[in-house]
Amino acid sequence: MRRRTRSPLSSPPPPPPRSGPDRRSLLRAAAAGSLGLTLTGCAYIPHAESDAAAAVDAEPPLPMEVDGPLVYFNWADYIDPTVKAGFSEEYGVEVIESNFDSMESMIAKMDAGNTYDIIFPSAKWTQLLWQGGQLHKLPLHLLRNGDAVFAHYGYFDNPWYDPGSAHSVPFTMYKTGIGWRKDKLGELTGSWRDMWDGTATGRAFLLDDRDEVLGFASLQLGCGAYAVGHEQLDRMASLVQNLRPRLRAFDSDDYDNLLNGDAWLTQAWSGDMTSVVQQAKDPSVYGFEAAKEGAPVNTDCYAIPANAQHPGTAMLFIDYMLRPENVARNIAYIGYPMPVHGSEHGYEQLVSTLPDCVVTEQDLAANLVFTNGTPAQEAARDACWTNIQAG
Amino acid sequence: MSVFFIASLLLVAALSFGTTNDLGNAYFGHSLANIEALADPAYRTVLLRSLAYAVLTSAICLVIAYPVSYAIALHSGRYKNALIAMVVVPFFANYLVRMYGWSTILSDQGPVLSLLYRLGVPRSFHIVNTGPGVVAGLVYGFAVFMVLPLYAAMERMDTSLIEAGRDLYGGPLRTFLKVTVPATRQGALAGIVLVFLPAMGDFVSAQLMGGPNQIMIGNLIQEQFYGGQNWPQGDALTMLLMAVLLIGMAGYLRRARKDEAEAVR
Repeated sequence: MRRRTRSPLSSPPPPPPRSGPDRRSLLRAAAAGSLGLTLTGCAYIPHAESDAAAAVDAEPPLPMEVDGPLVYFNWADYIDPTVKAGFSEEYGVEVIESNFDSMESMIAKMDAGNTYDIIFPSAKWTQLLWQGGQLHKLPLHLLRNGDAVFAHYGYFDNPWYDPGSAHSVPFTMYKTGIGWRKDKLGELTGSWRDMWDGTATGRAFLLDDRDEVLGFASLQLGCGAYAVGHEQLDRMASLVQNLRPRLRAFDSDDYDNLLNGDAWLTQAWSGDMTSVVQQAKDPSVYGFEAAKEGAPVNTDCYAIPANAQHPGTAMLFIDYMLRPENVARNIAYIGYPMPVHGSEHGYEQLVSTLPDCVVTEQDLAANLVFTNGTPAQEAARDACWTNIQAG
Repeated sequence: MSVFFIASLLLVAALSFGTTNDLGNAYFGHSLANIEALADPAYRTVLLRSLAYAVLTSAICLVIAYPVSYAIALHSGRYKNALIAMVVVPFFANYLVRMYGWSTILSDQGPVLSLLYRLGVPRSFHIVNTGPGVVAGLVYGFAVFMVLPLYAAMERMDTSLIEAGRDLYGGPLRTFLKVTVPATRQGALAGIVLVFLPAMGDFVSAQLMGGPNQIMIGNLIQEQFYGGQNWPQGDALTMLLMAVLLIGMAGYLRRARKDEAEAVR
């Protein structure tokens, strides 16, 4: 299953120093070396300013036919392996897979000069990418199952991140709410205020994610999911600081924290909650609620980078992934709902004990999303988040 | 080696004056915004916390490693190599993997706490997501860097000096303080530096073993690089950390040079 955890990258420990004829200088050298270790690894990647998105959009439309192997770049385990193998078999093409562990590392690898045929950016990254001229325009009319998405989910006809879905096709949807242990806390009230539940003091977690934590605070203050005003940010920081004494950690590993018992109450992604109930010995003890003040929704998309070597194969892949049987298998495997008509019932059955995991038309229409602010707004949000983290 | 080290250091220094574009790509520049942002009191709090954790980690490592190294170097006979291997081999496993292991073993429903709870320890007692948890993680992560230099110093120590001390009617404690400690001081100092430096910049222990009030400067740097996608700000923070560490290193190098000069004389 896909994990939204930010994986820390560790430096391997330096080789142990050995005693030798000149031990002092050797130890001193080793000490200097370990000073270097404390530096966070930094490889500056030169990046030419991308062409205007218009230039890419003006290119001739993509074909939908095999034009080479599929270089596939996604979160690990974010597709049913049998579906992937099926594509390879049916079209006789090799699928060359690599994985990223965050949107930032996806962008970094693309900017380092790697070319991919199909990527899976989240909504806000889809917007940044197409605006930067890094995504192909997609000939949506070629998709044989495109109607299952666009004729039934009006939201994706013109999503905020990509007008007319010109450069992307939605892959999965998810929302953020509260996951909790019913056996410890009983029923909750359906509000973000439940995070202050006294019984869960010391066992409550917020996600270790700037947008999610700020969104949690701004939704309670009635400022929407993405607030940028200085006065709003100050109030949001105070709200989180107020919760702080009850918190055990900021941690995006909501899934493990619930399953290993550290968390009784945690801000959680709906997709991870599906995995919790699939893995739990007793799924009935877990609950998930979307708060009445609002639940942020997000979308991961299929997109084809402007420098893809085999965009025709990538189009075929999107088409293949939208087939009803493949959608059903992927949903069962990864636990995230997809905006494909006909798949809704299967997902509802999967999360029968956690009905709030279902992402409805109303959830989408509320459009509580994390957008992209101006550099100054983003900097203000970063500073607010740093202050929240530092305590 | 030095060329690579200095070149990357210069790159970090130069980029700390840089800016980013909308996609978070870093560009060189001459902006002072990243340096000015370091005045935020949040950074001072976290830097002081990291310093305290690193000092505590070094001290605990010294207390644990000294008797271990002493026993292995002077009293383990033919098992010496086997014992050193037992200290070193676990460290062949990746630090991250070991820390994940610890965070699972020490979690509330993990084997350690399950046993302690059954023995009557109150349920409010936790290890993961606490300050002691973070320091314990750091100690486990870096203890080997203390054991090895101490072991090397003790092995090279002339044991006849201890016998001579005893012959001259020095009690065990006095002999230890007057003979063993001075002879192993260099190893201890080197060990302290080897533990302190990586502990100060570590972010894995605080991430896996810490709670909301335990984040370290390394976490903030990592956040700038991987989360905030603001490399120039991360570079400015790195330079701040480097400056603090260099002060400590300068003190150590001066001390070491003085000792060396005395030894030559």
